[in-house]
Amino acid sequence: MQSTRTIKATGLVLLAVVLGLLTVQGSYALWNTAAASSAGSVQAADFRVSLTDTKTSQITDMTLADGTAANLSLSTTPTGVLTPGQSTYAGVQLGNVTNAGGDFTIRAGTGTPAIGPGGTSPLAPYLGIKVVAATALSQCSQPSLYEQAPASGTATLDIAKAKSGVFCFQLTLAATMPASLSGQTAKVAIPIIVNQL
Amino acid sequence: MNKMAKGAIAAGVGVILLAGGGGTLATWNQANNASMGSVVSGDLNLVAGAGVWKNAANTTIPNIADYKVVPGDTLTYTQPLTVTLTGNLMTAKLAVTGASAANGFGDQGVVSATTLTNARNGQVLPDAVLVPADSGQVTATTTFTFKSTTTGRDAVNSSVNLGGIGYKLEQQAPVSSNTK
Repeated sequence: MQSTRTIKATGLVLLAVVLGLLTVQGSYALWNTAAASSAGSVQAADFRVSLTDTKTSQITDMTLADGTAANLSLSTTPTGVLTPGQSTYAGVQLGNVTNAGGDFTIRAGTGTPAIGPGGTSPLAPYLGIKVVAATALSQCSQPSLYEQAPASGTATLDIAKAKSGVFCFQLTLAATMPASLSGQTAKVAIPIIVNQL
Repeated sequence: MNKMAKGAIAAGVGVILLAGGGGTLATWNQANNASMGSVVSGDLNLVAGAGVWKNAANTTIPNIADYKVVPGDTLTYTQPLTVTLTGNLMTAKLAVTGASAANGFGDQGVVSATTLTNARNGQVLPDAVLVPADSGQVTATTTFTFKSTTTGRDAVNSSVNLGGIGYKLEQQAPVSSNTK
């Protein structure tokens, strides 16, 4: 009968579908879900140390925008010509102006002074340079500050984040300088090196 | 013919006639409710709670965008995840997805692989199969280290974006109950 054949065909199709599902064990979707960490970004601080001249209050960063080291010309007290046996003074204030999130203390140290121009000067043997760490620029012109300072011309200073410190310099022209060197000039360069502690 | 026999014959004839009519006979039947109850589906869910950044001094960082790291800094990001697994045949795997974006710190900054831990299993490894008994809190931990060996002014003002890190909870195919 027609109806019997129809029933048989439908049954065969249903059977095939059931077999297909059972044998293939196909890629049916399973439950899954996801969540984000929302951790954000971690950023590094900058490493900035400011230099301020004693007299002019000129300020510069130790490292310039182009990544090169700054040179800060210091004004001396007293100004003018230095006579044998006389001293002149200068100072620079260092500021730890980093934007670090945690503690960030730096250690600043002065290097061996170079007396020029060109690293040599006839005045070099007659120039004494003392470097002392101080707390205020106003201390730099006080001779008593340098009485206990070594003649090596170096000093170190630890500066906490957002704090500042001062290097004071005393330059003395020896009384034994020969008169033949009168009129000579000397350029003193003192390197400052800063490290993170 | 006696009267009883006549009466009997009359009754018998009446019965036969009723059977011949083919009427609505009552046959045995009985009915009852199945009482199968309700079929209820299980659940699979993952909710990430608010993560917290801390530095090596175990100080909480309120906003990572405002905290700038320096060489030697180690920051840890800890985030609670609430895992829900319900179902008699429910099994799932929990994994970390994504990775931090290109590291602006170069070799000077290290982002650790995110670890997942729960109270029942300790560390939840990528291939660990979780069951409903594992429902509850999983702790995700990620660490960033700015190497203390960084020299000069390397990596100043650098950054690394960890927002791409995520988590995925995925059901595993159940064993067919027909094979039991």
